[in-house]
Amino acid sequence: MSDTPVLDDRRKKERYEALVDALYQDVYRYAYWICKNSALAEDLVQETFLRAWRSLDSLQNDKAAKAWLFTILRRENARLYERYRPELVDIEDQSIADSDENEPDQRMDRRLLHEAIGKLEKDYRDPLMLQVIGGFSGKEIAEILELNNNTVMTRLFRARGKLRQVFFPDSELTEDFSGDDTFDEQN
Amino acid sequence: MEDLEFRKRGLANPNDSSEDFIAAASASAERAKWLQDLQALDARVHAAALSIDVPAGLAERLKAHAVAQSVPTATQASVTALPARSRYQRYYAMAASLVITLGVIMSSGLWTARPSAADIKFHDDILGHMYRETPRIENATADLSLEEINQVIEAAGGHLREDERIKSAHIKFANDCNVVPSIKGAHIVLEGTKGSVSVIMIHNSPVSTEFDVNDPRFQGKIIPFGQGNLVILGEKDESLETYETLITETFEWVI
Repeated sequence: MSDTPVLDDRRKKERYEALVDALYQDVYRYAYWICKNSALAEDLVQETFLRAWRSLDSLQNDKAAKAWLFTILRRENARLYERYRPELVDIEDQSIADSDENEPDQRMDRRLLHEAIGKLEKDYRDPLMLQVIGGFSGKEIAEILELNNNTVMTRLFRARGKLRQVFFPDSELTEDFSGDDTFDEQN
Repeated sequence: MEDLEFRKRGLANPNDSSEDFIAAASASAERAKWLQDLQALDARVHAAALSIDVPAGLAERLKAHAVAQSVPTATQASVTALPARSRYQRYYAMAASLVITLGVIMSSGLWTARPSAADIKFHDDILGHMYRETPRIENATADLSLEEINQVIEAAGGHLREDERIKSAHIKFANDCNVVPSIKGAHIVLEGTKGSVSVIMIHNSPVSTEFDVNDPRFQGKIIPFGQGNLVILGEKDESLETYETLITETFEWVI
């Protein structure tokens, strides 16, 4: 009797566990910024990793695992929640990690940033969080969001432009592109 | 590189390391300062985005989930070699183990059902209704009779039985509500010790599990009740157990 299936199962389990250890925090944080609710985020992460486990053999290269998991997560969110749940405007305060080491003004700054990120339109917040949390390039974000690269770059600079308007409302550094606020094809 | 293009690329990716972008950034002190400020803001955005608390034990739960999924595969592989009688015995043993395990989990309180997406939508709709109605509720001063209250409740398919506790309660508001379109619900408000206590009865699909309301102002519960739902809501520091007992013991659906 061959023991190959048992070995295969063990290897699959080891591969999966390494994937969980390496990526579960990033996947959870991205899930949180998609739905802005900790309970839903955990459900989404559970569903995402369950699907990942079932189709682990289809992941050819572990270096592509993060983009693969983020794509599964986005699909699960669309399948399970997006149709039923209007987007939450406010984020939950209790989800913000408050380290005692931080000064009160640092904690306040972090809360203001959370609020500002949470209030960005989904179209702008999504690519920004993929870039910030996922560390993805514009091209990778374009593949995950199924958009072209110029659209992604436009959304990224608009997202940061909006955040700058919140934090530097009177600054001469606040951008005014006078209507020219899209990326050209050559970029 | 023109200034406009430089700024657009900077905002799209402040850490762009391509040669032409770095050269453009060092072309003037003003550009260098602009990029430096942008990178400082981006570092704050980065720290804020990553400062979300990850639930304790999540990695372990994700791993256990997969192990649970892998059990049937391994079992199936070994079962194929067993004679028919052993296979049935094995299925029986597995089923018995499952029943015992579920019994232990449920009796020990380890089982905590999660509300479904539809339940959460209902929860959000209820809170939306509460915030819309709050100005009217806060201005309500009536002291309604059981008959007046039941006129509203009966239109929603329910009935409040005559009870001394109900008679002595100060019910100041009773109105129909349209939390679920096409289903008339009832919303009554009692005077609590810390403010108003709302009870909403809706003859719609019961939520999959009783769960607490999650809101910065209100506390309360959504309770599946017969063929519908009861919702009890009050201010954060109100003790709602008395009202929950009162309503669950005196309310019934009549349709």
